[in-house]
Order: sequence, then structure tokens, then C-alpha cells
Amino acid sequence: MLDRTQIGNIDWVLIGLLVLNSAIGVAFIYSSSQHLAGDFYIRQMFWIMVSLIALFVFLSIDYNSLVTYSFSFYLICLVILVGILFFGVFISGAKSWIRMPFFQIQPSEICKITVILLLAQVFSSFKKTYLTWSKAVFSGTIIGLPIILVGLQPDLGTALSYVPIFLGALILAGLNKKIVIIFLILAVLLGIAGWSFFFKDYQKDRLTTLVFPGKDPLGAGYQIMQSKIAVGSGGFLGKGYMKGSQSQLRFLPARHTDFIFSVIGEEFGFVGVVFVILCYFLLILRLFQSVFKARDRTGVYIVFTVAMMLTCQFLINVLMTIGLFPIVGIPLPLLSYGGSSLLTNYLAVSLVVNVRMRRFVNV
Amino acid sequence: MNPYKIYEDLSLIAKRAQKTRIVFFVLFIFLVLYFWKIQVLDHKKYWQKSENNRIREVIIPPQRGLIKSRNNKILARNIGSYKVSIIRENCENYEDSLQKIAVLLDLEIEELRERIDKYRSLPQFRPIIIKDNLTLQEVSRIEARRLEMPELLLQSEPKREYPYGTFASHVLGYLQEISPTELQTEVYRQRRPGDLVGKTGIEKQYEDRLLGTEGKILEVVNSLGRVVGRGSEVKPIPGKTVCLTLDVELQQIAEEILEGREGAVVVMDPESGGILAWASYPNFDPNKFINRFTPEEWIDLRDNPDFPLQDRVIRGLYPPGSVFKLTMGLAALQSQTITERTAFVCNGVVQIYRQPRHCWYEPGHGRMTLVSAIKNSCNIFFYQTGFLMEIDTIAHYGKMLGLGVKTGVDLPGESEGIVPTREWKKTARDEPWYPGDTISVAIGQGPMIVTPLQVALHTSVIANRGRMVIPYLVDNRGDGTGDLAENLSPSLNNDVQIEKVYFEKVIQGTWLAVNDGGTAAAAYVPGFDVCGKTGSTQTIGREEAERRAEQNIEVKKTHSWFTGFAPKENPRVVVTILIEYGGGGGETAAPLSKKLFERFREIYVR
Repeated sequence: MLDRTQIGNIDWVLIGLLVLNSAIGVAFIYSSSQHLAGDFYIRQMFWIMVSLIALFVFLSIDYNSLVTYSFSFYLICLVILVGILFFGVFISGAKSWIRMPFFQIQPSEICKITVILLLAQVFSSFKKTYLTWSKAVFSGTIIGLPIILVGLQPDLGTALSYVPIFLGALILAGLNKKIVIIFLILAVLLGIAGWSFFFKDYQKDRLTTLVFPGKDPLGAGYQIMQSKIAVGSGGFLGKGYMKGSQSQLRFLPARHTDFIFSVIGEEFGFVGVVFVILCYFLLILRLFQSVFKARDRTGVYIVFTVAMMLTCQFLINVLMTIGLFPIVGIPLPLLSYGGSSLLTNYLAVSLVVNVRMRRFVNV
Repeated sequence: MNPYKIYEDLSLIAKRAQKTRIVFFVLFIFLVLYFWKIQVLDHKKYWQKSENNRIREVIIPPQRGLIKSRNNKILARNIGSYKVSIIRENCENYEDSLQKIAVLLDLEIEELRERIDKYRSLPQFRPIIIKDNLTLQEVSRIEARRLEMPELLLQSEPKREYPYGTFASHVLGYLQEISPTELQTEVYRQRRPGDLVGKTGIEKQYEDRLLGTEGKILEVVNSLGRVVGRGSEVKPIPGKTVCLTLDVELQQIAEEILEGREGAVVVMDPESGGILAWASYPNFDPNKFINRFTPEEWIDLRDNPDFPLQDRVIRGLYPPGSVFKLTMGLAALQSQTITERTAFVCNGVVQIYRQPRHCWYEPGHGRMTLVSAIKNSCNIFFYQTGFLMEIDTIAHYGKMLGLGVKTGVDLPGESEGIVPTREWKKTARDEPWYPGDTISVAIGQGPMIVTPLQVALHTSVIANRGRMVIPYLVDNRGDGTGDLAENLSPSLNNDVQIEKVYFEKVIQGTWLAVNDGGTAAAAYVPGFDVCGKTGSTQTIGREEAERRAEQNIEVKKTHSWFTGFAPKENPRVVVTILIEYGGGGGETAAPLSKKLFERFREIYVR
């Protein structure tokens, strides 16, 4: 399975960047959750350890073998997602959790890995210049099923975070103008249907307040306003670690999860923001660089979709904290508190390292 | 073999990946620029907004420290209670609010308005307490209107309770709302309007120690004053327990003794100065007026002609009467005015400065030396002695023994009393000192007044054969369970400059007074060697008394004193009793002391 060359080719830089970013996360989880019950930062450190072990365990299996079984993984995940709609645990308004003896896990996060693998398999033999209808519909279905299931929980944020994976696959396959337009129309129709039939009031509020955040400063626009105030009041140097009045005084909702970037912005100001963005950017750069190291089409698809997933989530989350994106409940990957999301991201990066270390064909 | 052939041609998708990467690169640059805009360019605007997120401080009052007795009985503790405040800025319409609150809490609207106006200078967002000690019904009524009346703030607070009611009330003191004038002073700088503070007694003296440190919750309020979140919380630190030297049983007896009379009792340990019992009667039940409003009970007590709020132990001023003969004896011996063998003959009356001076025993005591004069409390002997002495010398020794000076006990409001000197009479009365005045002072009359505690202290000094102590009520060594002698008060260097042998002479007189059929014989306790001196101090002059008797006006009796200690050697306890208008000291005060000596002996001597 593993040989010495492959071990020598493990991308330590990438893993280092991964751990660096999650360590930054721990520091801010500590700062933002110090008034909450439960030692969130300790649990997060525990999850980092677990995820790191999982990352290395995963490396020992050739990504091509994983891809071979991806359909089975995918099916298992779908079954769990269906089951969870009936038996899951409600946490903050969504039935997206399975309760385990000491913690809960969120299968909708882990499921992303199987989607990445399955899409890679679907496109591994696709050599046309542009995307075809059959592939578009097929891959659309693959991604659509979990999105619908997760959306029904309803966990709009996680559902949305599947989209970049799909988008990544489509970009590589070659965006056909016609197909893009059709997809856009479909998305709009789906959106309207969702708006009228499926969206909860609070989700609608979030979309309207994105356009008019001042409309209801004490209600739905509150979070956007407070987050912007937090970031803006941080200034160039910030208010100091654990001294952010917005964060520490709990004006900010979900400080240690979705709005952790606002805490960074408030406590470390522009300097801190640029530093964190830079650290993250280096990670993303490394991910994209790995695209060019892949030895086969499967590898390219895996690495690229992982890169898309992490990058888009990061951007959406950050844009959300400064009011440029609706508040959809997407955590800041690696930095926000949350074990399932952390594990998923580590496994995703593990796939990238996997592809990269097996870049030489063993003839 | 072409090495490229072993790999697929991935150049097309690699190019697409490359383009995407560039798009993201641009996005990241845009992101950084946007942060520059809001964090640097628009920083002021957001800073202002963050400052405008109003933080409201909610104070959590600390539990006041307990007050315990020597025997670890809790004499003052705290129970749960509710208070309600108004936050004026939350009123939609102030007048309407007042109306509604008045109905809700069953208050007179004018009373309510007056209450709030008292604190009108406070900021609008500061809560003003409008009622405390709420009943459960009131609490539930307020709670039910929580949403419609955001101007009301219901809070729990620890309320002081004295489980034994009137027990040791003068020692413990009581709490009342801090007054606006007190708020101005440095001592109460940290306190807030509406706080309850110790007004007398231990509660006042040890306010700092009992108080504790208040906790704080920072509440985040939006522009409507609605609480939208909780900020940091600082837990209150409870006040420290104060342990008294009081012995519950002796205190109990002391209070029983006084029941129905007006007077004071002090029991103290002469060795250390620790007070074992401290009673003043009439007393009061502090539980009845610990609230911030309508302290009717308190006003009644304050205006009561018997002055129940007055602590007679340190604020009651009485002529020492015959008790002062001990001082006279010591002063006369030490100043070499007389010796132990000096004798005067008592015929019941003597002419001094062309005025007849009477002994209380009309037939006369016959030949008296100092010891027998103390035993029999012979006036004539001391008139004669006083005739030979200077008033300033007498005053010098009186003050040395602790009379007419503050004892320094750890309770507030102590009176100084007067032991007259030439100087004093000149400044206070603008009159010269007449030699006749000295004769009155010689038997503890005249312009001389002392507190019962001073008498107890001077008795301790005598019992100690000259060692001065400072009386104290709070055992600074912690739990108060230690031996009496271990709780030594800060030792004083200014021990009394009187020879030990003179003390022995005076003590011999007091021993005989109790144990050999003297005036204090009623204080006799078999086997305990009680030494004591009685006193019966005239409250009006003899002429006035005779005039009143002629006109059939009731003549008030004399104040009745007893002060003594036991045992004679290595004294363990001092008992001082004063009964206002109690009659003769030997008849009234001395027998009362017996119970205290007996009980002390049972508890501590064995």
C-alpha cells in the first residue's frame, strides 16, 4: 500500500498550513466562547487531534481505490441523510445531527467527501472539450439529492456548501454556455419555488435583510449590523485579544462558529484580518498548486473540487460577516468551532495530499 | 517510450483550474480592499456604533457577612427577599407609569413620586428602588406584567435578619438606607443610593468587613432598553463573618436581669478586655425596621421617651456615685494624702466649708480606715479625704483608671463623659472651681458623669492591679472559640501609675463589702470570692428632694450601681450593672450581679 517514495512525497507544507489555520481557530474560539458553558476550545483541540489521525489513516488508502467504492459510500450517506430526517436530533432549528455517546455528528458534512469522490469517478473518463447534457444531468442529480435532503433538515447553509463542489466539476468539464443558462433558469425557478413553499420565514428575512440591512436593525438585520460593527470598530490594530466589546459582550451571535471572523476583525483589526486571510490564502494556493501535480484526471477533479469547496466556503463566510452575503450558516472552514466540519475539511485535504503523494505512476 | 505517454493529457483541465485560481486571487485582493474600507476608512463610523450599543450594569448585592457569638450562634444572617425598581428611561409615559405602579404595588402615588424624586439626579437608566421586602403576591403581580411594564425591574437581594429579635440589639445595631449626606462622605464613596448600611453597633463599626464585594452583570440593551444579551458577569464576594466575644448565655441572663427596667449591664474579661455580655434596656427588634421606606417603627422608637435606641452602655451618662470611692481611695493612697492606717470618725454628719455633709448611714459608722470605708461605703471618710485633695489630682487618677475618657471599644458613638477639672469648669461653665465641688466629687456626685462601660473598664483595671486594657467585642482571632485569656487585646503601655499594694488595699475593701456583710453583700457567691462596690447616685439634690417630698411630688429613686469582679486573685470576670432609678445599689444592682457571677463560674471556671 504505502511505499517509501509515497511517504517521502507527503505534502508537509499543506498539512502544516492546515494545522496552522485550525490553531488560529482555537485561539479565537477561546476568546469568543469564554463566557459560554463548556470548554469549546478544548473540544476543538480534541477534534483537531482526531481529524489529524483520520487524515493520516486516510492517506494509506490509494485515492483510486476510494473512488472505486465511492458510489457505495454515497449511497450509505444518502440513507443516513434520509434516516436523519426521521431520527435526527434538533439543534438550533435543524435536524442535522446524530447523537453519539459523547458528542453529536453532522452527517451532512461528511457526505461532502463522498460527493467529491463520486463526481471524480463520474468525470474521470470524460474527455470531451465541453460539458454534455447527459453528464450535466447525471452529475446534477448526484449533487442534487444530498442538497435536497440537507435542505429539508432544513440546513440551508450546509446545503449551499455542496454547490461549489459541483461548480468545480462543471468548470473542469468545460462550461457550456447553454447549459449554464439553463442551470441558472432552473436555479431561479427552484429559488422561487423554495421561497414560496419551502423557505422558513427567517430564511426569507435573511435574504431581504441582505439587501436592506437597516430595515429592521433589532430583528433579522441585527446579526449583519452587529457583525459589521464588530469588524469596523476593530479598526487598523483591533481592540486587543479578548477585548472586543462586540464579541465579549455578546452582541454577536454565533461568535465561536459562524461569526468567528468578526471576532478576529474586532480584536485584531485590519492587521489580524490580513494575517488570517494570508494564512488561508497560502493554504488555498497550495491546494490549487496540487491540481497541477495530479497524475490523472481523477486526481485533478478531486483536488480541484476540494480547493473549490474550501475556498468558496471561506469566501462566503467572510463575505457574510461584512454583509456582502446573506447569513446562511456556513462556518469558516477550519477556524470555526465544530467537529464534523473540521473532520470533513481534514479528510478533504487528506484526499489532496493523497493525490499529490501518489503523483508518480508505479510502472 | 515517450515518458509523457504514461500520463494522460490533462492540459485542458489544468488550464481551466489555472483560470479559476486567478479569479480567486482577484477575489482575495478585493476582499482585503473591502476590509481596508470598513476597518480603516469607515472605522470611526463603526466605532461610534459599537459604543452606542448600550451596556447596562446590573449590580448583584453581596451577601452581608454573618455576625456570630463566641459560642458560634448566628446573631445576624441573610434571607432571600425581593425588591422592585423603576427605570425611568423605559417609561413610555412617566405619569401613566406612576399611576399603574401605584395601583400594582398598593402605594400612595405621592409617596411613590416623593421616593423617586429623592433620587431624581440619577441618570435615567439607573434603577431607583421603589419597594422592597416584597410579598410573594407582589412578586408574581410584577412578574406577570414584565413585558408590558419594562420600566419595572424586579431583583432579589439578601435581606438582613436577626434570628433572635431583640437579642443583643444594641451591640449588633441595625441597617437603614444610606442617607444622601452619608453618600457624600469618603467612607461611603463606593456605595450607591438605596444601599442599606449599618447605622449603629457592629453593623456600622464593621461595615467594611461585613459588606463584601458586589457582583456585576453587564447587560446589553438595545435602543429600546430591551435586554438583548448578557455580558461578562462578576460574581459577588460575600462579606466576612464577624465573630463576637459575646457569650450567648451570659448575654441572655444580662437581658433577663434588665427586663422591665431601664439600665445597662456589662460583663467583661478583665484580662483581655473581651466583652462577654452587653445589654441595654429598653431594647428594640431591628428586624422590624430594616427596609428602605416608612420606618414607622423606627420613628416610634426614636421618639420614645425611654430612648430604646440609645445604647446605655456607652451613651448613657450617669454620676458614678459611691463607685467612685474606689478611685478616690487609689488616688489618695498614691498621692500620699492618706495611708492605709489613716482613720476618720463617722458620726453620720460632718461640717465642711460650713455645710453639713451627711453619711447615708445616719447613726454613723464610727472609726473608719480606707478598707472599712470602702466596705461600708462611708461618705464621711471620703468627704474628709476629698477635703485634703486637689480636684485636678482626683481627675488625673480618675482618667488614668478609664473614667471620663473614651474606652476605645469597637462600637461607634461612644460618649466621653465628664470627670471634672478646674480647667473643665472654666471652659464649660465659665465658673471657678469651688472647694465644695471637690467634696461632692469625692463621693461620685457633682458635675461628674461616666458610662457603664467606663465603670466596667475601671473595674477591670483595678482587678488587673493596674493593667489597662481596651474593651472589644469582635474577636479578631477568628472563630471566637479560643480561651478568654488568649484573645488579648492590643496591650497598652500606659499602664496605670499606681502601686500594686494600693490596689490590694482597695480590693480588700471591695472583697469585704461582698463577703463580710458590707454594702455589696447581695452579690456574694459562695466560693467565688466576688469583690464589688455598689453605688446609689442621687439624681436630684437633697434640698430639691425634701422640697418635693413636702409637696407630695413623687421623688424618683436614685440610680443603682454595682460593679465588681471575681475571683479576688487572678480575676476572670468583671460585672457592671446600672439600673436607672433602681434605688440603692446594694438592694437592686448587687443582687442582680449574683446570677451573672454564678453562671460565669459554671461555664468558665472548673
